[in-house]
Amino acid sequence: MTFRQFAYRNVIRNRRVYTAFFMASVFSVMVFFLYSMLLFHPSIENRFVQEIAFMGMVIAEIILYIFTVFFLFYSMRAFLQARSKEFGILLHLGMAKRQLKRLIFIETMIIGVASIVAGTILGFMFSKFFFMIIREIVLLPALPLYFSWEPFALTIGAFLSLFIIISYVAPVFIRTGEVADLILGDAGNRGAYGYSKTRGYLGLLFLALSYAMAASTTNSVVIGLIFFLPPLATVGTYYFFMDSLPFLLHKLRKRKKYYWHHFWLLSISEGVVRLRENARMFFIVTIVSTVAFMSVGILASLTSFASQYHEMHPLGLIYKSKSENAQERKHIAQLVDELNAEQIDYSLVRFQVLEQTSTFTENTVAILKLSNVNMLAQSFGYQAIDMKKGQAVFLPPSASSYDQLKNRSVKTLLQESNIHVTIDGAYPYHLFSAYSIASNAIVLNDADYELVFEKGFTQRGKSFSYYAFNVPDWQKTKEIGLSIDAKVAESFLAGGSSDLPYSFENPGLNYSVIRTTFSLLLFIGLLLAAVFFLAAGSFIYFRLYTSLESDRKQFDVLRRMGITDREFKKIVNRQLIPQFFFPWGVAFVHSSFAFLSLQVIWDALAEISIVKELVLVLAGFTLMQIFYFYLIRWRYLAHIKASV
Amino acid sequence: MRRVKRNTIVELTEVTKIYEGKVMHRALNRLDFEVEEGEFVAVMGPSGSGKTTLLNLISTITLPTYGRLMINGIEPEALKQNDLALFRRRNLGFVFQDINLLQMLTVEENLVLPLTLDGLSVPEMEIRIAETAARLDLTGILNRRPDELSGGQAQRTAIGRALIHKPKIILADEPTGNLDSKSAKDVLELLSHINKNEKTTVVMVTHDPIAASYCDRVLFIKDGEFFNEIYKDERRQTFFQRILNVLSLLGGNVNDLSSVRLP
Repeated sequence: MTFRQFAYRNVIRNRRVYTAFFMASVFSVMVFFLYSMLLFHPSIENRFVQEIAFMGMVIAEIILYIFTVFFLFYSMRAFLQARSKEFGILLHLGMAKRQLKRLIFIETMIIGVASIVAGTILGFMFSKFFFMIIREIVLLPALPLYFSWEPFALTIGAFLSLFIIISYVAPVFIRTGEVADLILGDAGNRGAYGYSKTRGYLGLLFLALSYAMAASTTNSVVIGLIFFLPPLATVGTYYFFMDSLPFLLHKLRKRKKYYWHHFWLLSISEGVVRLRENARMFFIVTIVSTVAFMSVGILASLTSFASQYHEMHPLGLIYKSKSENAQERKHIAQLVDELNAEQIDYSLVRFQVLEQTSTFTENTVAILKLSNVNMLAQSFGYQAIDMKKGQAVFLPPSASSYDQLKNRSVKTLLQESNIHVTIDGAYPYHLFSAYSIASNAIVLNDADYELVFEKGFTQRGKSFSYYAFNVPDWQKTKEIGLSIDAKVAESFLAGGSSDLPYSFENPGLNYSVIRTTFSLLLFIGLLLAAVFFLAAGSFIYFRLYTSLESDRKQFDVLRRMGITDREFKKIVNRQLIPQFFFPWGVAFVHSSFAFLSLQVIWDALAEISIVKELVLVLAGFTLMQIFYFYLIRWRYLAHIKASV
Repeated sequence: MRRVKRNTIVELTEVTKIYEGKVMHRALNRLDFEVEEGEFVAVMGPSGSGKTTLLNLISTITLPTYGRLMINGIEPEALKQNDLALFRRRNLGFVFQDINLLQMLTVEENLVLPLTLDGLSVPEMEIRIAETAARLDLTGILNRRPDELSGGQAQRTAIGRALIHKPKIILADEPTGNLDSKSAKDVLELLSHINKNEKTTVVMVTHDPIAASYCDRVLFIKDGEFFNEIYKDERRQTFFQRILNVLSLLGGNVNDLSSVRLP
């Protein structure tokens, strides 16, 4: 048997230990490869949607890579510590330290290369399927499978270098004390562990503080909190797992009435040990799951976004033009042509919106002509309304402001034209997107409007045209006016849209961009979450596996002591359930509070509720986790009992 | 020596135990063995003679292949798994060679473990702990963890754990195997004290003739069969010599014989 054979057999015969680890590595390589396949896809042009997708992919790749680094380091360290007895025997038999390092290097590289090869092959096999899903989401005409060296090079390069580094660094993890210590293994390694009371309190305080703030946010401070709360909650979570939880459990151990009660004695003390071993892991799982829950929750909510989006943006296309705009006619002609070419039904109303100063508020007020508004309303199927001379109504800037304005009555003087009007109540139908005309607008009767128009006509620039296209098939307009939209976007990116004498809004296009982007991010995020999920599970499994020896002994003691099989199952449940569900539980709570505060922004942005989607997402994750829990418990119980 | 006839608490009649597996192994062969209530019995024999199997049978964690086994008036084979577990919980106490304290529990918690399973009230448990700790000289170290104990302290804790629920029988598997001679002596005196004062039956498997010399009776088995049986006399010294004599007859592996002699 050569040295290399020896290393190879070590890996193969330890396969029970390595399987979960191997699977998680393969999966993470596979997902990485899939992302890179998309990154290097030749037929992806640099359109806006693709750019965001591209960014998402790059970020996902980076997160995945960093996570894999952590995962591998943690796992390697745990593996090597678990096998310290074996290494002790090898050293005892006269193996040099240098040889031991080489042995570990070869073993790690065997696993590494195997998982890279398997992951890449699997990735390539699944990439056709992956592309199909992406194509559906992004609504690309075609996304063919291609073969190019770049994704392979990126994946293999990234992971090979990672595994090489880890293989070199790994031997450091073996405690290089006396050989005898290694042979004894980590038997005496399960005592109490230190925690800081101060940090324990701090952790609880931080969490309570962030929860309280998240729950009580209002629209005005929420933006500030977005930058402040996540770090606070993260630090709080870290302290919570490292210090608060041990501290609380220690307190609980003093409450003998609960602690010395049936299996709680065993379960709690065992829980403390597991917590000590896994606190950092739990922390990482919690944070990652929180992020996953949140992104998935937000993204999932967008699937129910369409009808609400349409309610908020009733118009199909909006073109707003200042009076000095020379391209007004050309642009409108272009839009009309494009609509006709695509055979999309529409009705167009042109508004000449006048701006006057109201003496009542000293603010500018935009004035719309009643007959225009009625015409647009009729195209939506609403009733026309009637107004006498001297009368006007508020045009609510958003749907939610209607309630405030509907009972309001104001007498005012329009300064520039010196006309008195009574503004009484609000216009009842929601025809325009929020704030798309002006934040302060009224609908004026035709007679007064003409007067204002004549008198105020001298003051140029104080009026603008507003073209409202009502398109019943609003989602079809995403190919209309692309060139105008591009110019608006360009000048917006160059610094402020005010430079252009016109503005253009295409809700159909915006909606499809938002929807596509978010579904793509959702898909990427779900894949990423799946990797984390597998990795966390593999870690818990592995921890269980390494403690199997001492657990068996413990089981033997308990069995003699007179614990029935059912009771033993209960004890195992109480040990495993917290490991599986506690980090997730904390993540649930975290994300629920995060959603509470996000709901404020969401309300302001979209006025939609995401409770239903959130419940679905959380339920889905929980189901997956329960399945995983039963799987691992089944294996664990089988192993424990097999020995006796 | 005259013996007072007492109730039989453990009774094996022609018990045979065969382990099935890749290699079939007959661990015990038609063994007859009785233990009377309040007796302190040692079981000796070379490695592989079936001592541990015998102890496991009495522990009710394995069942005989053939033959009849009665413990404290019940027949383990007739009971369901759950009832068997309850039976062990109430009637048996265990002391192991490698001590097997639960590492994550303190001394106090290790002691109280059997009681928590039976759902006693906290004040009651505390009284029992105080009693046991005082008797076993554990009072000062109740809050320590197993890895902070000396071998003797650890074994005393284990004995405390075996005793605290006042079992009928204590089963000890090489209780002095990992101890220095001073701690071993303490542990044996403790066991013998408990046996005398509480009338607790003790069955102890051991390699060590000194340990065996503390008992009322020593059973020798070889290759799963009865070999010899001797009763103690007035002086432990002569009893010890007689044990050594039987051991030398027994042959077995030289390593099984302890070369230590009493001072």
